[in-house]
Amino acid sequence: MSEILLSNQVIVYLLSESILFGLLLIAFIITLEILIKWDFGSYSEQQFRLERRAYLVMTILLFVFVVKFLLLIYFVFAIDSLSLLVPGAMCAAGVISANDYGMLLLLLKLLILFFLLLWMAINRYDLQAKNYPLFRIKSWLFVSIFLVIAIETGVDFAYFGHIDTLEPVNCCSTLYGQLEGANPLPFGLNTMILLILFYLLYVAVMASALSSQRVSFMVALLLFVFIAYYSVVYFFGTYIYELPTHNCPFCMLQKEYYYVGYLVWGALFVGTYLGLISSVMEIGLKVERNRERMVALALLSIFVLLCTGFVAIYYLRNGVFL
Amino acid sequence: MTENAIITIENLNKHFKSGDLLSKVLKDINLEIERGECIVLKGVSGSGKTTLLSIMGGLDRPSSGKVLVEGESISKLPDLHISHFRAQKIGMIFQHFNLFDHLTATENVMIPLIPARLSMDEVDQKVHSSLKLANISHKAESTAGRLSGGEKQRVAIARALVSDPAIILCDEPTANLDRDNSLKFIEILGQLHEMGKTIVVATHDPLFDTLSFANRVVPMEDGSLVGSISKGLQ
Repeated sequence: MSEILLSNQVIVYLLSESILFGLLLIAFIITLEILIKWDFGSYSEQQFRLERRAYLVMTILLFVFVVKFLLLIYFVFAIDSLSLLVPGAMCAAGVISANDYGMLLLLLKLLILFFLLLWMAINRYDLQAKNYPLFRIKSWLFVSIFLVIAIETGVDFAYFGHIDTLEPVNCCSTLYGQLEGANPLPFGLNTMILLILFYLLYVAVMASALSSQRVSFMVALLLFVFIAYYSVVYFFGTYIYELPTHNCPFCMLQKEYYYVGYLVWGALFVGTYLGLISSVMEIGLKVERNRERMVALALLSIFVLLCTGFVAIYYLRNGVFL
Repeated sequence: MTENAIITIENLNKHFKSGDLLSKVLKDINLEIERGECIVLKGVSGSGKTTLLSIMGGLDRPSSGKVLVEGESISKLPDLHISHFRAQKIGMIFQHFNLFDHLTATENVMIPLIPARLSMDEVDQKVHSSLKLANISHKAESTAGRLSGGEKQRVAIARALVSDPAIILCDEPTANLDRDNSLKFIEILGQLHEMGKTIVVATHDPLFDTLSFANRVVPMEDGSLVGSISKGLQ
């Protein structure tokens, strides 16, 4: 068995993920039974049993959401600690690029958290009515989430099982082949255009949200999070590290940088999640979600202020840009 | 279901499962209680009175069957709604009083009003009139732990009345009281009946056999209702 699979952090992580998967499997089987037999108008023993079991599913999902959120943070910590075992890796960025499963796994985790949050928003709305009007929608959503989590669990094992501790990896400053001469930014953008897009999309997000243009808001938000990711890694991040060649999404999560990455990425992703959830519920389910949208705008504004603040502070202290 | 019915119970069953053992606590209960009625559920311990009362009050859910309160089915309400239902429509009085011993009588009575988010003036007014009705105003600032059994029961009555519920459910209310205090409790219950409250008392206390204002005595035996003795509307 590989050295990686025997490290304490990986054992704890994989065991936790497996237990969660086991719990979700129970919830999945119950949900399938509920979907087949559910008849809210009935006062039969079977229906009452299904209603009690629906509460069990809700409890499991709430628990899974909380643990999955904490496990995402732990996952970053775990792969960061593996950088000692993987040649060439200086932080989590090197370890995550150690094989083809790494980035896929990270994307799946972000996607799952979004869908779990969406499920909770729908569930909350459903419980505010007296007759569970969204019960089938949220149950089918959970079935879909379960399938994605099943894939994620498989990718978890594939990723950690295929990290080669003998083969050197690229890390931070050479991430995405930047030093090999290739432009790492999407669509051949340069940094200036990237920044213009970053601020323009932020304005578009704010304007569409405040003028209740729901579809425009969702589209602008998706474009913004995409551009924001590259902007942080290839521009704002360098001001956090105060090093123009340090392009890493993970190092800012470390103690050396006062864990500021949790604030930066947290504000961006939680803001994006809440914004998308408010849009999905308003467009798809015709449910007003102003509060979530306003919280999303506040978080995205904090994110933009933080990013801009690092550049401004650096300039004020040093009199030059990087 | 008649037009004046405030509680309607149809084909209600409740059972508990412990391992392979299935214990049927309520068996096919059908009962209709009219607005303003006072009903005494009589039966020995273990006959299912408390379980039936808990289901009527939304504290427990049936295994099958329907419970309608003012025409609305409460047996399938989500938790959020069942809490609102209890806070608005039900006042419960328990055998063991269920007071917070370290809180004063006033504070205990105030508790059901917390979710209503009333102004302090409104809360004070409601608590004061409720304590007065239960004849326990003189102990308003005493902590519940220092009160006698009879006084505790009167605080429990005040708490049950404070949100002005239409239905008062009493579970063995005199089981921990001496005869004098039991008679005082019954006197207060009579006043509530006169005020138009619907009252359901689950008890095996013989004092309730001669209750002058009870409209019906409904005997329970082994989880079933065994007829009903109508005493005629007073």
